[in-house]
Amino acid sequence: MKKRTNTLMAIAFAATVIWTGCKKDEDTTTNPPPPANEEEVITTMKLAFVDSSNNSNIKYATFRDPDGDGGLSYDIFDTIKLEPNKTWITTILLLNETESPADTISNEVLDEGVDHLFCFTPTGTSATVIKTDLDNNGLPIGLQSKWYTTVAGNGTMQVELRHQPGVKDGTCTPGDTDISVDFQVKVQ
Amino acid sequence: MLFICVINFHLMAQADSCKSSLSGKVLDEHDKTVLEFATVYILELNRGALTDSAGNYKISNVCDGNYTIRVSHIGCENIEEKILIKGKTIKNFYPEHHTELLKDVEVTAARPLEQTTQTKTNVTDEKINQSKGQSLGDALKSVTGVNSLNTGNSISKPVIHGMHSNRILVLNNGIRQEGQQWGVEHAPEVDPFIANKLSVIKGANSIRYGSDAIAGVILVEAKPLRDSAGIGGELNLVGMSNGRAGTASAYVEGNLNKLNALSWRLQGTLKQGGNISAPDYILVNTGLKEYNFSYALGWKKKNYGAEIFYSQFNTTFGIFSASHIGNLTDLNRAFNSPVPLETGPFTYHIGRPFQHTEHELLKLKSFIKTGDKGKLSITYARQYNLRYEYDKHGPLNDSLEALNKPELKYEITTHTGDIIWEHNRVKNFTGSIGLSGITQANTYEGRALIPNFQNYGGGLFFIERWKKNKFEIEGGIRYDYKWLQVFKYQYIGNATYELISPIHKFGNFTGNVGFIYKSDSVLNVSLNIGTAWRAPSVNELYSNGLHHGAAALEFGDKTLQSERTNNAILTVHYNPGKRLNIEVSPYIHYINNFIYRQPASTPMLTIRGAFPAFYYKQTNAVLNGCDLYFKYKLTKSLDITQKASVLRAWNQTENDWLITMPSDKYETELTHRFNNRNKINSAYISASFLYVTKQGRVPANSDFAPPPPAYYTVNLHASCNIYVRKQNIEVGVSVFNLLNESYRDYLDRFRYFTDAMGRNIALRIKIPFNIKSGLPP
Repeated sequence: MKKRTNTLMAIAFAATVIWTGCKKDEDTTTNPPPPANEEEVITTMKLAFVDSSNNSNIKYATFRDPDGDGGLSYDIFDTIKLEPNKTWITTILLLNETESPADTISNEVLDEGVDHLFCFTPTGTSATVIKTDLDNNGLPIGLQSKWYTTVAGNGTMQVELRHQPGVKDGTCTPGDTDISVDFQVKVQ
Repeated sequence: MLFICVINFHLMAQADSCKSSLSGKVLDEHDKTVLEFATVYILELNRGALTDSAGNYKISNVCDGNYTIRVSHIGCENIEEKILIKGKTIKNFYPEHHTELLKDVEVTAARPLEQTTQTKTNVTDEKINQSKGQSLGDALKSVTGVNSLNTGNSISKPVIHGMHSNRILVLNNGIRQEGQQWGVEHAPEVDPFIANKLSVIKGANSIRYGSDAIAGVILVEAKPLRDSAGIGGELNLVGMSNGRAGTASAYVEGNLNKLNALSWRLQGTLKQGGNISAPDYILVNTGLKEYNFSYALGWKKKNYGAEIFYSQFNTTFGIFSASHIGNLTDLNRAFNSPVPLETGPFTYHIGRPFQHTEHELLKLKSFIKTGDKGKLSITYARQYNLRYEYDKHGPLNDSLEALNKPELKYEITTHTGDIIWEHNRVKNFTGSIGLSGITQANTYEGRALIPNFQNYGGGLFFIERWKKNKFEIEGGIRYDYKWLQVFKYQYIGNATYELISPIHKFGNFTGNVGFIYKSDSVLNVSLNIGTAWRAPSVNELYSNGLHHGAAALEFGDKTLQSERTNNAILTVHYNPGKRLNIEVSPYIHYINNFIYRQPASTPMLTIRGAFPAFYYKQTNAVLNGCDLYFKYKLTKSLDITQKASVLRAWNQTENDWLITMPSDKYETELTHRFNNRNKINSAYISASFLYVTKQGRVPANSDFAPPPPAYYTVNLHASCNIYVRKQNIEVGVSVFNLLNESYRDYLDRFRYFTDAMGRNIALRIKIPFNIKSGLPP
């Protein structure tokens, strides 16, 4: 009789141990989370150039990869076309167009201006860039800038967004790349 | 493990002046493991001896003459042999495990019939001990033909004959490990301290364990549960200088006097390490934390038994900060920099980017003897695997950032079940037949690198083995079927996505035939020819996007077909006397539809800049090579061991080499063993020289950077057992990379960014303990 009690106790103990502690995942296999709830992506960079001598003379240039990195390739990649010998008041707009309506990521960049810096590197073009906005520490951000054009000609302009949390010093060296697009530039 | 080093007693003293002796080893016929407590008995003299923990026996004071020797061991067929004893006679015995004779079967050790004609290489106890505190992948590297694919120091994936990930099966306690094995930076989630025995079976070994394992199988076996009454255990402590890492692992196990059928064990491991150092700098964010535990309960009777095993593995580790790069320009900048772009002080803190994984295994196993004809065993297991990957930077949006969610989360739950019937020997045949099933569900949150999926699979197998005298033939056949449904969103334009749920079906045969010729114990030749297949994995079918940390865009192909391998492995083992031991094992794998990543000719433009793009492609590949092991006793106390692993991998379709294949590896080890002294035994000191050649056989323009140059490292090991309070306490020291050499390994994914780990001194101590002796008063 005693032996039987022991056996029963052992089985009860075993059963208790088995049914404790198993972790579970949600049974959502057939129903994956919709892509809009994914992490933030930057699909689109839009540059707007306003002629400082004529407010109604506005040029645009856009790079757009509508489903983010990977998947489909970009569908819009404009050439920047500016007239020579002018000053252009330039604004950068960043969007996440995987969502509808699109999310304006440039607002987040502005909020975290102390961690971000735009860098503009011209090659073979007369266009030069001066950043006109400042973060809370008095360092430039680059969402707002002035582009100066002189002689006509073709070249490229690399527009880079550096993510520099805690290491921003006004130069382009520290941090990682959030955006890097080489636009064709035609000054004509 | 038992620490009774020499049990060697004589049953009866022989008074006369006969001075001859009989000594040698008793080893398992198949895997050559030592058999402890085997009896070697001289029938004519009614005396004998038991083997010690190294399998040695000695019977002294025997008169010269012809005798009949009987060797018996629990669970083995008795051997009776007539031999001549003259002077100091040395004779090894090789009993065979025989199901008919299994008395009171040990539940955990009652493994199903293995494919014995295949070469199974055990990691020696010495090598297991030396690798304590390191990962499972590191522990396996001492086997020839096995490499590891590393992502820095904390992620180490085993590679057999150049193949890894889904082409290798890890059997953790008899259960196929199911997690996110497809990822090159996803290491097997197994606590190496669970392993009492580690072994590698090379070659297509899919009959018993299911499809996929076209390169080989890694067996992680826990110690059998205690079958004698009492409570005991063991404590292991390891400290390492590099990363200032500490590991503590312990188990307690017992068996009740009153309830002798019930055995139990509790086991746990804690590990923490900080930033590791290369010879010239500290690697930022390379710390890790790990906590694991397991328990086992066994109930066994003569004709039936059951066992429960539960384990949990939890780890969090930093990903070297400077390895996380923005785009191809950043990568080139990182590669051309003499020191990593980020360096910093030592800390235990783990920051972004980091990964956290959890793995849970519950296994239920039972067996019942079906009369004297055989044994039926049923196994069920559930595994749950969780993986969080945190990018270097959180979201820009403050409210999202505050949630601090991983950028990628996977959960995969797997249920497996097996029913196997093994039949006892009928004439010269033994064999087994079995049925197995698997179902898996995967879900993600965050980045959808791998979509949700559900799969079901089933397999049926049959293995028979024929054995007579010096010959053995084994053959097996298996059919597997796999059904896979994927659930993913596909971009259709205008910020809209459509849910698609395609179904894939795969089914095919696996076959295997092996031959063994065994002349005494001197020459042992085995040839194994197999054909096996592997269904493409979900990442190969559906990867689509940027693989952060790998700085690559990967594109799967949903039309991929199954891989089929046809391989042959020949193993010649020659052991002519006490001094020399050679094993040569040439192999060839022909793989049709071998799936690999083909780099695109031009990088792909994204808003982050240019990235190299890779497409999953299929080709016909040939992988051939040779593993060599050579051991020679220079003097009574000094051994030299030479190991070599050579591999050539050719892409037949592209007429070029295959990428990411290990380069040739040579290792020489000198070991000096000290004589046992009063309280100190099993002491040794060894020095090993590892030389790894430059991998020159790579396809052109397929990698971010050329393969690193050849390198060598020197490692030192020393260990001894100290007998204190009736226990053998084992103390060991290892120095890895003694000369603090700066080098990079071709199979280390961090080689683009940093040198490998510098000198590392490890101190280990193993303390067995006995809480309660089991002997009744």
